Order: sequence, then C-alpha cells, then structure tokens
Amino acid sequence: MAISESDVRHVALLARLALTDEQVRHLTVELSSILDHVSEIQSLDLAGVEPTAHPFPMRNVTRPDVVRPGLSRERALLNAPEAEDGAFVIPRIVGAEEEA
Amino acid sequence: MAEPRRIVDMTGAQIADAIARKELSAREAAEAALAEIEALEPRVHAFNQVTPELALQAAERIDAMVASGESLPPLAGVPVAIKDNMNLIGTRTTCSSRILENYESVYTCTAVERLLAAGAVPVGKCNMDEFAFGSSTENSAFGPTRNPWDLERVPGGSSGGSAAAVAARMAAVSLGSDTGGSIRQPGALTGTVAVKPTYGRVSRYGLVAFASSLDQIGPFARTVEDAAAVLQAIAGKDPMDATSVDEPVPDYRAGLEAGVEGLRVGLVTDMLEMEGCAGEVRAAVENAARVLADLGAEVGEVELPMSRHGLSAYYVIGPAEASSNLARFDGIRYGHRVKDAEDVLDLYMRSRAEGFGPETIRRVMLGTYALSAGYYEAYYGQAQKTRTLIIREFADAFERFDVLLTPTSPTVAFGIGEKASDPLAMYLSDVYTIPLNLAGLPGISVPVALCSESGLPIGAQIAARHFDEATMFRAAAALERALGLDMTPPLVAERQR
Amino acid sequence: MAKDRLNEVLERYEAVIGLEIHTELTSLNSKMFCGCPVEFGGEPNTRVCPVCLGMPGALPVPNQAAVEATVLAGLALECEIARFSQFHRKNYFYPDMPKNYQISQYDLPFCAHGHLDVEVGEGDAAYVTRIGITRIHLEEDTGKMIHVGGSEGRIAGADHSLVDFNRAGTPLIELVTEPDIRTPEEARRFAQTLRTIFLALGISDCSMEEGSMRVDANVSIRPRGAVELGTKAEVKNMNSFKALHDALAYEIVRQADLVDAGGRVVQETRHWDAAAKRTSALRSKEEAHDYRYFPEPDMVPFEFTEEWIAAIRERLPELPAARRDRYVQTFGLPKHDARLIAEDVPLAQFFEQAVDAAGAKLAKPVANWVLGELSAHLNATGAAVGSCGITPEMLAELVVLVDEGTISGKQAKEVFAEMAESGDMPAAIVERRGMRQVSDTGAIEAVVVKVLAEHPAEVESYRSGKSGLIGWFVGQVMREMRGQANPAVVNEVLKQHLDQ
Repeated sequence: MAISESDVRHVALLARLALTDEQVRHLTVELSSILDHVSEIQSLDLAGVEPTAHPFPMRNVTRPDVVRPGLSRERALLNAPEAEDGAFVIPRIVGAEEEA
Repeated sequence: MAEPRRIVDMTGAQIADAIARKELSAREAAEAALAEIEALEPRVHAFNQVTPELALQAAERIDAMVASGESLPPLAGVPVAIKDNMNLIGTRTTCSSRILENYESVYTCTAVERLLAAGAVPVGKCNMDEFAFGSSTENSAFGPTRNPWDLERVPGGSSGGSAAAVAARMAAVSLGSDTGGSIRQPGALTGTVAVKPTYGRVSRYGLVAFASSLDQIGPFARTVEDAAAVLQAIAGKDPMDATSVDEPVPDYRAGLEAGVEGLRVGLVTDMLEMEGCAGEVRAAVENAARVLADLGAEVGEVELPMSRHGLSAYYVIGPAEASSNLARFDGIRYGHRVKDAEDVLDLYMRSRAEGFGPETIRRVMLGTYALSAGYYEAYYGQAQKTRTLIIREFADAFERFDVLLTPTSPTVAFGIGEKASDPLAMYLSDVYTIPLNLAGLPGISVPVALCSESGLPIGAQIAARHFDEATMFRAAAALERALGLDMTPPLVAERQR
Repeated sequence: MAKDRLNEVLERYEAVIGLEIHTELTSLNSKMFCGCPVEFGGEPNTRVCPVCLGMPGALPVPNQAAVEATVLAGLALECEIARFSQFHRKNYFYPDMPKNYQISQYDLPFCAHGHLDVEVGEGDAAYVTRIGITRIHLEEDTGKMIHVGGSEGRIAGADHSLVDFNRAGTPLIELVTEPDIRTPEEARRFAQTLRTIFLALGISDCSMEEGSMRVDANVSIRPRGAVELGTKAEVKNMNSFKALHDALAYEIVRQADLVDAGGRVVQETRHWDAAAKRTSALRSKEEAHDYRYFPEPDMVPFEFTEEWIAAIRERLPELPAARRDRYVQTFGLPKHDARLIAEDVPLAQFFEQAVDAAGAKLAKPVANWVLGELSAHLNATGAAVGSCGITPEMLAELVVLVDEGTISGKQAKEVFAEMAESGDMPAAIVERRGMRQVSDTGAIEAVVVKVLAEHPAEVESYRSGKSGLIGWFVGQVMREMRGQANPAVVNEVLKQHLDQ
C-alpha cells in the first residue's frame, strides 16, 4: 500500500499538522511501511461479517434530562491561552465558511 | 513473601492493616514513599509530578479517622501513583506531552476519585508514552522512564512510569491505562502484577482518551491481592461513562485462596510458537502451565489464529479513534499555542505540530488516513470486521476453557533506544496483549520467571471471560503462591541494604 | 424583487428546493451530552462543564429526553423509526466546536422516510403539496463566536473573535427534506407548518430570530419539462420566514438570469443578506470536506422496540391540522379561523377551555372573541395567553352574557376592556355598572309607543315604503333607554307596531 508525499500533505491538512518537508519525507516512508503491514487484513475473507464498534454489546445507555452543576467560569478559562471578557480568544478566521 | 524490611517494602494490604492496628500512621507511610521517590526518582524518572501536599493531606485525613475510631476504608493510607493521563484536581494532567505541559486538571477522574475515596494516598502523576502511544515510555516529552531492574532498559509502556514506581517501591500500587497492552506489557517488563479489566468494568471518565473502544484503567501492584483490592475500589458503573457496564462487582479477594483445582486452562500454543517469542519467555509460560496443572488445573492447548491479525486491526482502530480524540488539542481552550498565529488555521497547524511528539504525529496521521474518504472500508471497516472474528474466536475458546494462558510480551525489557527507530518492531511487543483489548476481555500479567541470562522479569498473561476477573485473579494468585518468586529489582535491593 | 419577475421565471423554469432545518430542543432541561442547562443567552462560558467544553478525558452521555423528542418529531411527520441507530462522529476543525468533531448521526438516523402535507395559498388558489422528509437526526449544537474589529460582527475583516460555549452541546435535531419544494412560498409554508408542529409537540420554541430554528436551502432550476436536475446552490442565513421566501425568490431569478445569459450555476454556499436583499457567495473552503465519519466509540448503539415506539406514539398530541379540521367539523368554524387558532397551541388551549365553559354552541362567538379582542389585547400588551389577565372562564361568561341578551355586543367590548384592566368577572362588571340590558317586552313596548307617537311623519314615511327607517326608530328607542335595551327585542316590537 503505497502512500505518496502528496497524500501525506493532504492528510496533514485534514489533521491540522504543519509538517516540515523532512517530516513529510519520513512519514511517507513510515506510514507506507505500517500500512503495508496492516493491509494484510484486506486479504481476509470478511464477507458477511458484521463490524464491531464496541467490544461489549450494550444498547440504549442514556442519562435522565437533569441539570448538574458545571464548571465555574474561572475554572473553565483556567487553562485558556488567551481570554477576554469571559470568552476564549482566537485569531481571525480566513478561508472558512461563516457560521450559519 | 519475605518479611518487609522497610515501610516501602510493605504491600498495600500490609500497610492498610498496620494502619488499622495503629502500628503505622498514614503519615509515616506517605512520608516513606515520598522519601523513596526523592531518593530514586533522579535515576528512574517514573514521575512527571510528585504531590507531597496532596499525599500528606490525604494521609492526615486517614490518621484523623484512626484517631477518632472511625471504620477505615479498604485502602486506608496506601500510597498510590497515578498515570499522568488521569485528571486529578490539584495536579497537572500532561499525558507526557508538550501540548499539555501546563494543563491544570479542572475535574477529577472517576477511577481516581474512587481510589482516593477508598483511602489511597496520591503521591504523584506518572510518566508515560505521550498520550499512551508507545510500549517503552521513551515517547515522553519529558524524557524516558528507566526500568528499576536495569536502568539502561525501558520499563515498557505506555504506563512505564506507573509500573516503575511500583517496582521501585515508590508507591505500593498505581493506576495505569491499557489500550493495547499499556498496563500488562510494562507489568511484565518490571516484574509487577498488572491488570487490564474487562472493557466497561472501570469508568473511563477523566482518563484522557487514546482509543475510546479499547481503553481501560487498571492497577499495578506487587501482589495479586493488592491488584484485586485496587480494582475492587475503582470498578463499577459510572453514570458519566456511557460505556461503563452496570454489572455487580464481586469480592475479588474472597476467592484468591481457592486454588485452581478443576480450572480449565487453555495454553495458547500458536502464540508461543510465534516468530519473535524469546525462548525463555516461551519456556517460562510453559512452566507456568505445568505449575497450574500440578495444582490441579486441567490444562489444554488452544490456537487463536485470528488473534494473529489483531495487531493489524489494532493499528487501524487505535490510531483512527485517537486521531479524532486528539482533535480537541487545538490551542484554543487549553494547551500549547503558538504566539504569532496569522489566523485560526495557522494556529491549529503549528500549535499541534509543535505540541505533539513524533509518535503522536505518526498515529494521528495514520488514523486520519485510515478514516479518510476512499480508505474507510479498506482499513477501518475491515479492521472492525476482523475485530468481530477475534471476539468470536475468543468466545469459542472460552467454551472449552475458563482462562487462557499466553506470554504477556514476546521479550524481556529491551534497551533504551533499541527499538526507537523502528515503529513496527516496537508495535510487535504488544502482539499478545492487543487481542484482549479488541475483544474487551480482562487480562492480568503476573511474573512467572526471571530470565537466567539477564535476570530480567518475564510475565505471563492470564485472560478470562468478560467480567470474570475473579477467576483470573484466582489463577494468578495460585501461580504467584506456587512460584514464590522474589521480585526485588537490584535497585531496590541496593536500597534495602 | 418584483413578484412578476419570479412568476415569469417560474413559467419557464422549474425550481427544485430542498430544505435542511436545524431546531434546538429548547424545551429540555439539560444539554445533549451533559448536565449543563439549556438556556438562551447569559454571560459567556457560564453554562459549561468538562463535557461541553471538550476538556481532556470528559465523556458524552446522551440525554434520554432528547432521543425521545426526536422520535416524537419523527412520528409526527410520519417517519419510519429506526430499530437500530447510533451516533457518529463528524470530524472537522472549527473554533466553535470544542472537540473538533460534532457528535451527529450518519447512515443510521433515528427517523427517515416521512412526509408533511403543506397547504399553500388561500381561497380558490389553495392547494396541498406533500413534501418528503428524508431524515431527522439528533446532534449537538456548536458554541457561538463574536467577531471583533470587523464590520457588523461578520467574520470577514474581523481582527479576532471571542468564543462562548454556552450554546455548545445544546440538543439539535436536523431535518432534511426531499427536493420536493417548487416555489419560495411552498418553502415558507413548509417551514411555518413544521414550526407549528414542533410547537404543538412542545420540543422547541422554534425562534428563527434567536436561532433556535435555522433553515438552509438547496436550490436549483431546470427548464420546465426537463428531468435532469440543475446544479444547486446552498443558501444560508435566512433568519425569518420572510427571509426564507425572499432569499429563495432572489436565488431562483439569479440562477435563471445566469442560465439565460449562457452561464452556468456553480455549486457553492451563498449567504442571504436581508438588508441588501441578495445572496452572495461565501469564500470557498481551501479543501473539500472529508468528515471522516465513524461510529461514536464513547457511546453504545440504540435499539428501539415496537413497544417503546408505541409508548412514544402515545405521547403525540393532536397536531395543528387535525385540530383545525376538528374545529371546522365540530364547531363549524370557518377554515381560516380554525387554522389560526389551531396552529397556536396556547391560544387553542384557551379557546377550548372557553368553549368548554360557554358550551359548544357558542364556539363561533368564542372564536371571534379569541381572534378579535383577545388577540388584539395580546398584541397591544405583548402578554402571553396564559398570563394576560383574561381567563377562558372570563371570556366564556362574557360570550354567554351577550348570547343571553343581558348585554349588547357593544357593551361587551366595554366589559372586555374593563375585565382586562381589573381582572373582575364580566357579570360583576355588568352588575356594578348597571349595564344589564332590558329585554322586558313590556318596558320596551311603552317606549316604542311613546317614540311612534312623537314622530308621526316618520311613521307615515315608513308605512309608505321607506322601510329603511327602522334603524332610525331603533336608534331613537335605544337613546330613550340609554342603550340598555336589547336591540333585537326593540327591533321586533317596533316592527309589530309599525307593520300593523
């Protein structure tokens, strides 16, 4: 399963990782080798086998519609790299859709 | 077990007992653990943060209870170390990552809360592979943890700090997390008893997620009894975790002495024959099977050919879930953030690239790729189906056997740096532990031998049916008693002199 | 936008419209996956917890009431309810989304394959069109951003933004229609009708202004008679039913103009600017979406049994259309009036309680009062039906007083004003003010005789054919009796005397 440098760059954008050219080169080799190994499951005959997302077959786990105490604003913002007027600060948004 | 020479050599049960009998105060136990950490930590580096204030506060509460004659909780005064991916108010939770280097916990993990409610005394937060990605604790942003049996070797991982802390007597017990072997493998490499409970047995609330469908919190201890006591304290349904299971928690310690007469033990032969399994590891596990047979167990052989594909399925499912779980580390609400970001995209891209170490980047990339358009079925879909077959194969095996016996890891502790440059070789050290995570089954690693050549510990893994930790503990305790191994690392022996 | 222009375009082109409607389940106590309260507004980041802030290690647990509300909505819209369903993660980075994935539903939504019959137009031009509902699923809302340093709080040109996660995690249902809508008016009526249903179900306050109901539309056009679909544009930011209508009308004409001029419609997202009355393209994203959906591993799947679904179905209230038909059939209300009352749940409850108290035969006058004086009063005071000071019993008593002839319709309006003011029962007001209307034929007859005797000329005119003078005579009698005579009785007695 070959993965190209351009694949790696595309995936890095999806994953929001700014990689150096050197990282891209290394990851192309490493990911190819790992994918090559894990691709062995593609040769298994899995027709008609249901996928398992949870190791234990539980159903319908919910909580009642009850209000519980949350975090104080101080604690909510305790780890904020930048806060202003009780809100988290972010730089400008470019090239993204406006919120609906 | 030999009579303990020092407070820190006492097991958790011995400490709790001595405190209850007023032969020891919780404060003395805490101070002894803190002193041992101070002495050994420069060489072992098991901790990211030592918490003397929290420890002494907790110890004082226990001593006050003793003074007032209140009935004591089961782990009263037992020093415990906690893997640094579990939130505890008053501590940082760093996951050994730059991106969370200064992250202050704003709430407490359910399992930790339950452990502290049971009287345990928190001495610190333990080093780990970054976000639990690794099998050696070398992938920590804050430097590797060293194996108390040989400081030039790794303690295994990802819960290497928690394992080393217990092996080196810096804590009586500890908590780790296990996604593909991250408790059991370091347990084997450090000669400790290490438990991954059934998926859903222990709440994951407050454990920083690696792979949500695989992660479980579990204990490290120096005895099966202590491991059982810690699981007893942390197990049970938590309304904050929708995947925790509402099954009654039996008294795990009640059956420890019951022995293995008539217990059906399946020795997983194809795992022993797997290429890469060290001869002494194989011999030690076969010997363990013989010991169990001598004790009256009905030992048979079984093959688990589908489990061979577990590694591949795991290296798709684990990274896929991790890539999504780690998306929240974006430098907006918490965590590392570049100072001069031009815009939000730039902020995300550079904060994450700077904050994550190489193995984290590798896994996030792998998982993102496996879920991306056009590849989902070939990787994630196929891995989930493989998972189904592995679960079925175990179900079949448990029709014939009550427990299954395998090595925990193919080799003893390897040298620091030895596998650092070869991710695949590193991944192989979890080949025996991963299938249990995929199937959600409980497993325990118990020391079964010391390698004649290196003197390093070898562990065997005992797996049981879903929620049948009691049987697993019973088999492990029988083996522990019969083998009577002295699991004192040279570093500890040196301190005891 | 001239309406003629749209009509002209729609003669040549068929518009194909599908709607995507997000509705917050505002009537719930707590958020979708945590125990934080569901409320509008508030100081930033004061209704948050580790779960809805996406703190490391926090886990979501779904709100049972939100699941039930979604299934209730599905049943109201004739959907099939999934026997097996689950949440998925939709992965994409955006600063208002704490986990950088949204917990949503993908290929296994709770509800699918429903429909809603929508009545469009009035009178002879009225028609009913059935709009298919593709799916209804449950998800979590995002936080909100305030853009600082730009114009009018828009993203474009902003220097930085502030993020508030109070709204993050609010339960949100997404409804997607089939592309069955053909005109802006149909789209508006669909959204309005859906709103009345959700209000009747009591699952949301459905405020388009506050954003608890948000409508996006996919629009394309094709030449009349063509089968192949045109390229669609997605239109967003329509904050009222009028905006929905106007944006679609604009967009249809825009696309037609483009095609007429030999151009092509581009698949894109367009933003409705209500002030400028036009849509404009949003800057397109740098990358195509790849949401990497996968089953949410922090939660387990849902399996709904027949019994469970039946129990939810039991909770379905009478829906507005059925209620309207009942008002027409049982009470004989005009269809228009019946609909106005039936679509407004509190008003309908008031109406039915008043009819209970006044008797079913008085349903029509009760409806008239509800739609007339009561609605005017509510509009003027801004009060809600339940807290406006007038109870169904008060209105019922008033209607009965008029029906029994105790007071005239004109007097009743005065009584209404006073009871709105004082909160007193109408009978007490009538008593206190001595408004009791005279229906005693003897007393009226005496006055009639007197009036006729005083106006022989008018009597002569009437008898020679000017029968319209009857009204003038009634006025004279009423004046003599200071307005307290029953006009119907006066009329009758007058006629007896004049026509003899």
